[in-house]
Amino acid sequence: MTIILLIAFIISLIHLSVSKRLKTYVSVLAFQGILLFGAAFIELIRINLVNLLFILLETIVIKSIAIPYFLNYLIRRNKITRESEPYLPDFISLVIVTAIIFGSFLLSGTMYTSINRLFFMAAFSGLFTGLYFIISRKKIITHVMGFLVMENGVFALTLAAGAQMPMLVNAGILLDIFASVLLLGIFVNKIGGILKEQEAGQLRNLKD
Amino acid sequence: MGIPVFLLIVFPSLFFAGIILRTKSICSGRKGPSISQPLRDIWRLFQKSAVYSETASFVFQIAPAVYFATLLLAIALIPLGGRSGLISFKGDFVFFAALLSLGKFFNIIAALDTGSSLEGMGASREALYSMLAEPAFLITMASLALMTGHYSFHGIFGALRYGSSLSLAAGALAVFVLIIICLIENSRLPIDDPATHLELTMVHEVMILDNSGFDLGLISLAGSLKFAMYGALISNIIIPHGLAWFYIIPVFLALQISLAMLVGMIESFMARFRLNHNPQYIFTLTSISLLIFLGALIISGKIN
Repeated sequence: MTIILLIAFIISLIHLSVSKRLKTYVSVLAFQGILLFGAAFIELIRINLVNLLFILLETIVIKSIAIPYFLNYLIRRNKITRESEPYLPDFISLVIVTAIIFGSFLLSGTMYTSINRLFFMAAFSGLFTGLYFIISRKKIITHVMGFLVMENGVFALTLAAGAQMPMLVNAGILLDIFASVLLLGIFVNKIGGILKEQEAGQLRNLKD
Repeated sequence: MGIPVFLLIVFPSLFFAGIILRTKSICSGRKGPSISQPLRDIWRLFQKSAVYSETASFVFQIAPAVYFATLLLAIALIPLGGRSGLISFKGDFVFFAALLSLGKFFNIIAALDTGSSLEGMGASREALYSMLAEPAFLITMASLALMTGHYSFHGIFGALRYGSSLSLAAGALAVFVLIIICLIENSRLPIDDPATHLELTMVHEVMILDNSGFDLGLISLAGSLKFAMYGALISNIIIPHGLAWFYIIPVFLALQISLAMLVGMIESFMARFRLNHNPQYIFTLTSISLLIFLGALIISGKIN
C-alpha cells in the first residue's frame, strides 16, 4: 500500500513538471501532504502514540492545509500572476524530471540497506525535482514551492528510517518549513509593493 | 478458438460511437440520437460510391481499405480471458504496433496525396502525436512482458497476476496509459476535437476531408474498431485470471460500455488542450510507462 502512495508521489512530481498555473502547484503540494500522511500512517503505526500523532499532525495539518492556504494567501495578497513562468519549455522540464526519476532509481540501487528502494527513489526524485524547480522557475514564490517539494522528498526518506528515530528529524523539517515559508512570505510581502513582477532576477538590482 | 474472441471484440465496436454520442448528449441535457445512429450513417455511406479528386493517385483510393484491413488484423491478435486470438506468436505485440503504424502511414500519405495544404498540416500533426504515443505503448507492453516472462499477448495476459501491491500499481498505471493512448489514437478530446471543423485545431478530421462515400464509411467504422481494440486490451488487463467464459462475456461488454461512457464523459467535461500543450501531455505517458518499467524490473527480480 505504501508503494502505491510512493508511486503516486512520483507521478505528482511528473504532473508538477508540466503544470502551468501556480494554483496547480499549490494543490499538488496539498495532495503530496495527503500522500505522505497515508504513507506515514501505514509505516509508523508501530511507534509510540505521541510521535505518531505529531507526525500525522505535521503532514495533514501543516503540509496539506496550512501551507497551501498560506501560499494561496500570498498569491492573492501580492497579486502574483497565475502562470509559473519557467525559463525552459515544459516539454524539456518533463524530459528532465523523467531523467531525474530514472537517475534516482539507478542511484537508489547503489544503497545496500534493508529499506525498500522505492523510498529512496521517491526521496531522491523529490529532492532533485525540487532543486530543478528552484533553478528553472522565475518567480520567488515558485522557489518556495520547489523548496517544499524538496522537504517532501526528505520526509519520504525519513519515513523509511522513521521507525527508529522520527522525532528529531521531523522537528528539523518542521522548523525548516516554518523558516522558509514565513521568512519568504514576509520578504515577498515587504518587497511586493516595489518589485511588480517578483522575479528572482530582479533581486540582483538590490543594493545595501 | 480464436473466431468467437474475434467476433466478441468486433461486435461491441458497432455501438461504440453511438454510446459515446448518447453519453455526450445526456451530459449536455439533450436526448440525443439512438445508439445505432452512427451505424446507420455508416450503412448509408456504404451504399454510396466514392468521389475521387483528379489530382489524387491510386494511393488515395487504396488507403482507407488498407487502414481498415490493418485494424481487423490487429484485432485478430488480441486474446480475451485466457483464450488466444485468431493469430498468436512470440512478439506479436510488436507486430500489433507495426500494423497500427502501417494503417496510420497509409492515412497520412493519402492525406498528402490530395495535395491540399490543410490535409498536409493535419497529417503532420497526426504523425507527431502518434510518434510521441508509440514509446509509451511499447514500453508498457514490454514491461508487462518482463513482469510475466512471456512474449505474446496471449502469454502476457494469461500470466498476469496481481499478487503484490507493486504489480497492482503497475497494472493500474498500464490501464491508465492505454486509456489515454486510446484517446490519442482516436483523435479524441483532450488532443483533438472530433466535432469541430476549425482548421487551426483539427487533426484527424482534416485528414479525411477528401474522403467520401464508401471510403468515409470505412474510416468511420475503423475508428469504432480502434476503440473496441483498445477496450479489449484494457479488459485483458482488468479481467481476473481463470474466469469462466459465461462471466467473461458480460464483464467484457460492461467494460467496453464503461470505456465508451468514460470517453463521452471526458468529452463532455474537459476542454481541448491548446495545440502546443499536446506534445508534453502525450510525453507524460512515456514518463508513466517508464515507472511501470521500473516496477516491472523490481517485480521480475532483475534489480532488487
